[in-house]
Amino acid sequence: MPTAGLKTIIALSFVLAVGFLLVILSCALYKVYYPLLVVATYVLAPLPNWICGRCANPDDFVESGGAAVLDVGRFFTGFFVVMGIALPAVLAHSDLIRVEAMIMSITGGLLIYGTIISFGMFFQEEQEF
Amino acid sequence: MEEERLWKFRKPEWLNSMWARNAGVYAAGALFSIAFYVMLDSAVWSKSAKNASDVHVKFVDWLPLIFSSLGMLIINSVEKQRLSTDSFSYSGSGVAWKARVVLFLGFAALAGGMAGGVTVFVLKFVVPGVGMPALSMGIENLVSNALVGFSSVVLWISQNMEDEYSYNLSL
Repeated sequence: MPTAGLKTIIALSFVLAVGFLLVILSCALYKVYYPLLVVATYVLAPLPNWICGRCANPDDFVESGGAAVLDVGRFFTGFFVVMGIALPAVLAHSDLIRVEAMIMSITGGLLIYGTIISFGMFFQEEQEF
Repeated sequence: MEEERLWKFRKPEWLNSMWARNAGVYAAGALFSIAFYVMLDSAVWSKSAKNASDVHVKFVDWLPLIFSSLGMLIINSVEKQRLSTDSFSYSGSGVAWKARVVLFLGFAALAGGMAGGVTVFVLKFVVPGVGMPALSMGIENLVSNALVGFSSVVLWISQNMEDEYSYNLSL
């Protein structure tokens, strides 16, 4: 994988801006501001992995307490990622937001989350050396 | 170790990889999230303008999901390796026995949650003869309880995978 150059950072920030644009459009076009919750969800999503990664001792293979903490973090990350998709679907099913707003906010949320994840991957690779 | 195999078919190799068990844990979280949001969807839909009937989701409808989740928490908090420690001589305090009792309580809570979901569905929706758009609230209740059970199965399997993995690593 190539190192995280300037082009990568520019592309990632562009994708992030498009994601925020889609989410804010889905709110502002219909004057219903529930889809902003998607942004909060995807910002929260990598947090359990980070916190539990700090708590666990990765050298500890025999005693499985460390792995259990890591598993809790993964479980909640999976929970939050699906929450970002499920929340607009729930709102659209109850007619609180439009279906178009649901599609836009889900797409924008996935773009934001993809940016966060790929940025974390590039950052981690930088840390290894 | 190879002679102690019970089944004819051996486990595929990729099941023991670190990648597979991490994916299993993520999938369990995703399934639990779907379960919770299916239930939340029925509650939100019940209070929304789309619900024309006078059937509403109350706290009773949430109870099966609460019990299922409690059972899932109990089941997956028990250390699986303690279940087989009775064969060793140094387990004097009966840890395996305690683990079995706690695990039994967990499975009872999980199965009780599912049975409660069916009970709510039958007593509140089928017997009064509720029509289709409102009936979907009861169906969502059933689906969410089934998904919690499925999620705990996935989490259980991936935790057992981890044990195999660490066993291979320690050899």
